[in-house]
Amino acid sequence: MFVSRSMTRRVITVGLEATLFEIQDLMAQNGIRHVPVVDEDNKLIGIVSDRDVRSALPFRYLQEGISPEEKAKLQGLRAKDMMTRKVFTISPGYTIQDALLMIQNAKVGALPVVDEEGRLKGILSVRDLLRAFINVLGIGQPGTLLCILVEEKVGQLKKIVDAITAMGVSFGSVLVARYWEEDKRAVFPYLLTQNVAHVKKKLQEMGYTLIDPMQWYLDQLPEDERPPDKPKR
Amino acid sequence: MKRTGFVYDERYLLHKTGPYHPEVPERLTAIYEGIEQAGLLEKLIRVPAAPADLQWILNIHTAEYVKRFEAACRAGNQMFDSPDNEMCAQTYDVALLAVGGVLEACRGVMDGRLDNAFCAVRPPGHHAEASRAMGFCYFNNVAIAARFIQKQFGLGRVGIVDFDVHHGNGTQHIFEDDPTVYYYSIHQHPSFAYPGTGREFEYGQGDGYGFTKNSPVLPGQGDEDYRRLLNRDLFPAFAEFKPEVIIVSAGFDGHRDDDMSDTKVSTEFYTWMMLKIVEMAQTHSGGRIVSVLEGGYSLRRLPELARYHVESLLNG
Repeated sequence: MFVSRSMTRRVITVGLEATLFEIQDLMAQNGIRHVPVVDEDNKLIGIVSDRDVRSALPFRYLQEGISPEEKAKLQGLRAKDMMTRKVFTISPGYTIQDALLMIQNAKVGALPVVDEEGRLKGILSVRDLLRAFINVLGIGQPGTLLCILVEEKVGQLKKIVDAITAMGVSFGSVLVARYWEEDKRAVFPYLLTQNVAHVKKKLQEMGYTLIDPMQWYLDQLPEDERPPDKPKR
Repeated sequence: MKRTGFVYDERYLLHKTGPYHPEVPERLTAIYEGIEQAGLLEKLIRVPAAPADLQWILNIHTAEYVKRFEAACRAGNQMFDSPDNEMCAQTYDVALLAVGGVLEACRGVMDGRLDNAFCAVRPPGHHAEASRAMGFCYFNNVAIAARFIQKQFGLGRVGIVDFDVHHGNGTQHIFEDDPTVYYYSIHQHPSFAYPGTGREFEYGQGDGYGFTKNSPVLPGQGDEDYRRLLNRDLFPAFAEFKPEVIIVSAGFDGHRDDDMSDTKVSTEFYTWMMLKIVEMAQTHSGGRIVSVLEGGYSLRRLPELARYHVESLLNG
């Protein structure tokens, strides 16, 4: 679960004097959107994102071309002129969860990973996090997802897991959505089988309510995004 | 009336799965009875099943997989590769026989002795990958048939229509980078059903890009949505691809009374769908269709579903 395991180690970086066009080329050729700026010791000084690059280019550049004077001025633009100096960074010892919360709060697309001396060790982007969580969710592993409504009582999850295990069915993963309804949670076991009819029946016999897949949601939508007819939680 | 072949062998009943497993021999007897009671048996041309020649199976599955499967079966294992794949001592032989029956039907259609055929076989095939058994499937009957037709009869383009409610991951992956085999599947959305593949944006890979199409259906949806998706995705694609033969992975588990899915397809719709597929075959493939049973688990509905399916082939 550590950043050091999921981060990209071979980071493409530039020095303070790299030009706008050099950075733009690096991004295009490597399919990246963030280029950290480092000194000779590989210490992080700033970061240039593709948005910084595009903000520096007048839109006319792509359409009709620009005058030689404008071009000369653009050629003079360096990393030090465009970069963000106050960079959100994380340490290699952080967990993926730390990184997830950080990226969500900081509203950035990538986090450079630095050691205690501020030296760049790697970079972790939103894409790396998506890959890690796709693995955790088990998407791509063949199986069937169930949704069970449970009361907020200790021991509920164990009962469900025990019942399913007793039927000889394997688990891929189990997710719990904490804020479903008042006093209730939704448990999503991902079962590694095609054959769930008898599992559902057993759970219903045990008194659990299975929720219609079309009513599933894993996340609490912000207040203003909830459709008017959705139940309040 | 067409010359429709019918593959069915009592030995297919010998493959036994454990208790609580829905892929039971009774499925096949229900299908047979539905066809018999509708008076269709005398109209069909019975195709005999013999164990398939391994060379055709090895076009699709690895030699290591085939050996491993046989060894596991002979050793008396009751499960193979995936917990869903429950088996007994006869399973390997029955699987060979299923492929054999399908290949014989293909020979009949390609030789011109038959116009089309329905193969009521077990175990099913479309989840089986080149080197892995999955989802009740061991040998990918339809994939083996497609390659067989191409190699034995020098045919170019094969179109596969898979309307089993579960995505045929095996068939898709086997032909994913192959532009000569078009794989089309309509199935319950992978976010809500096994095997979790078959997303709308899977179009094939490499040279095969553009020769795979998936139409995911949401839980609760039925005839209307299926019709809309087939009109939008399947018919135009095959009009462009112009398959020289159509192979159908015929699964009936999307029926509203089938517990293995959350879709609500009616018996009438399965009839409509098969008639449209027959129509496509008339237009593009000289009428050549080989239909192969995949899933379908409602013992109550299988008789009527089988009857109308076969009638579509005979009279469509």
